[in-house]
Amino acid sequence: MKRRESIFKSKLIWAIIAEILILLVCLLMRPDFFKIEYQPQTHMWYGSLIDIINRSAEITIIAMGMTLVIATGGTDLSVGALVAVAGALALKLLRWDVTVYNTPGDYTVQPFILVLFVPMLVCLAMGMFNGVLIAKFKMQPIIATLVLMVAGRGIAQIATNGKQFTTLYAPFRFIGQGSLLALPMPIIISAVAVLGVSLFTRLTSYGMFIESVGINRNASRVSGIKSDTIILIAYALTGFLSGVAGLIYASRISSCDSNNAGLNYELDAILAVVIGGTNMSGGKFSLAGTVVGSIIIRTITTFVYYFGIVSESIMAFKALIIAVVIVLQSEPVRKWMSSRKNTGADRIGGGVHA
Amino acid sequence: MLNAQRRRRSPLSSLANPKYIMVYATIGIFLLIYLAGAAAYGSKGFRSVRTFMLMFIDNAYIGISAVGMTMVLITGGIDLSVGAVASLTGMIIAYGNSVLGVHPLMCIAIALVVGVGLGLTMGAMIQYLNVPPFIATLAGMFLARGVTSLISRESISISNSMIDAWAGWKKYFVKLQDGEWVKIKPVAYINLNVVLFLVMIVLGALILQRTRFGRNVYAIGGSEQSAKLMGLPVARTKILVYGFNGLCSVLAGLAYALYVKSGWNLALQGAELDVISAAVIGGVLLTGGAGYMIGTLFGVMLKATIPALITFNGSLSSWWGKIATGALLLIFIGLQRIVVVSTERRSKQGGK
Repeated sequence: MKRRESIFKSKLIWAIIAEILILLVCLLMRPDFFKIEYQPQTHMWYGSLIDIINRSAEITIIAMGMTLVIATGGTDLSVGALVAVAGALALKLLRWDVTVYNTPGDYTVQPFILVLFVPMLVCLAMGMFNGVLIAKFKMQPIIATLVLMVAGRGIAQIATNGKQFTTLYAPFRFIGQGSLLALPMPIIISAVAVLGVSLFTRLTSYGMFIESVGINRNASRVSGIKSDTIILIAYALTGFLSGVAGLIYASRISSCDSNNAGLNYELDAILAVVIGGTNMSGGKFSLAGTVVGSIIIRTITTFVYYFGIVSESIMAFKALIIAVVIVLQSEPVRKWMSSRKNTGADRIGGGVHA
Repeated sequence: MLNAQRRRRSPLSSLANPKYIMVYATIGIFLLIYLAGAAAYGSKGFRSVRTFMLMFIDNAYIGISAVGMTMVLITGGIDLSVGAVASLTGMIIAYGNSVLGVHPLMCIAIALVVGVGLGLTMGAMIQYLNVPPFIATLAGMFLARGVTSLISRESISISNSMIDAWAGWKKYFVKLQDGEWVKIKPVAYINLNVVLFLVMIVLGALILQRTRFGRNVYAIGGSEQSAKLMGLPVARTKILVYGFNGLCSVLAGLAYALYVKSGWNLALQGAELDVISAAVIGGVLLTGGAGYMIGTLFGVMLKATIPALITFNGSLSSWWGKIATGALLLIFIGLQRIVVVSTERRSKQGGK
């Protein structure tokens, strides 16, 4: 009895319930929605569920960093632009000599290791730039990251001279289109990212410090936590993970598209974090919740595509789901519900809101 | 605005008030960039009244929306839905008039109800459900954009005699020559959008500086807790501010519809960023509590100068515009930071 109450107090449960409900609607409309098949030719499992997780990989990876950023009480709006920067740089390095654009080539001009690491390191540096503005110069996160959000796409366009390159280089395409252990590569990469960030926050004291900084930056500093460094790491990590996501995106489409790569990713990533139950004002965070949030967002998109609904109306569906989840998670509603279930125990808000 | 301050104390001393420093910075940088452009491309016509007025005409819809955004930002909130609501307005006018045959005035009235209603709803969500403004208005943005797409996925042109008359209304700049009024060369004019933009700026400034409501807006932005303790109507003010921003978004959508004479579900994507950055460049503090309409006016102008310069240069990629805007933002938040830190230091010394 006691356990059930605590389950309903958690914000995560509402996200999971929402996801199950959407999946149930899908199942009702298409009984074969859950079918998963093994394709011997490509050595991969196929099915809508696999596809949902596969396609949510970029947002999941970015949202891992975003969770930490939001837990410190900030936001990072530049992630979508960084995705474009990473893709543009990777393709530029792969096809340094191209004169005729859009002729696919199955070679690389630079050592492949450079193609992988330069974009990630540039994104890491851009993340650190955000972090320095916010941690050292105490700027407002929303506008400090707005700088790169606006300028980032310009940088990506100038890196590729406003052109799109296409590549057929197999090792590069493997990142987004290949498979490992019979699963699509993006799923593996995002699993590594989720595991890495979880271990980093749970095995070291970093996770605890982040919550502490998010709850009260000054108090944390006074009690000996290096708030600035903690915040800087969160933004740098988000930049790095955006770079990884950018490589996956570019590899998926085998080209770079500085206009549309990562478009609105910042919104989706922030949404994933919030749906997952992390409070925008900072403090406690839930990486598991963020993963569920990211999958919910992708499920809605798949749902809309799968049933042939006008694709631009995804936004209206997203708005509905956000509204429902947010209203359910909002303090007044949860207080009201808990007071009905369990009169007297009014400790709901304390745990999460801090 | 400035005049309001001027009346109370001696004009010069109140103008030297450090709280105007951001506005002066904006005006200064605008003049610097504009004069640099005039020096470099003056021979190509950058100095002409026509170029100057075209910057107004091309950015009027951003400016109209920035009036509402300024107010929202001063309360310490943010509104991401403005571009989508403006696009929805254009679509309601285009679809309502061209497809359903509804009178444009009726369409505009419907758009006003929808836009203001959405704004008030978001405000209520933010106030009563404690939803962060970023998320609540993000939902509003998705909803407005989604509904626009549900109405139509294609661009619909507007062809209505009244709308045509509004869009075509021009007031030419004239000069007295040989006892006769003739149009100046190259021809310069203002249109309805510019008038609407300037009227909204003045209206916004009057509301902010001359009404109790305006003072409440500043008080909430300064410290919501203190405003509540002082017994100010925090809930009502906050909700109304989002409602007013909805009104501005609808008017911006109307201006944009007059500008392009069509409605399109993907129009004005990302416009919210232009609007927010215009306000920030104009010296509005994102933490709330500080900012002036006159600053926003120059913020819009400053942002408009960059693409104009790039066009006049001719050889630069238009993408440099984005990088320049990012750099401008960086300069201004850096300046704001310096101002905030120095004021804090001064008030600390005063305390001792």
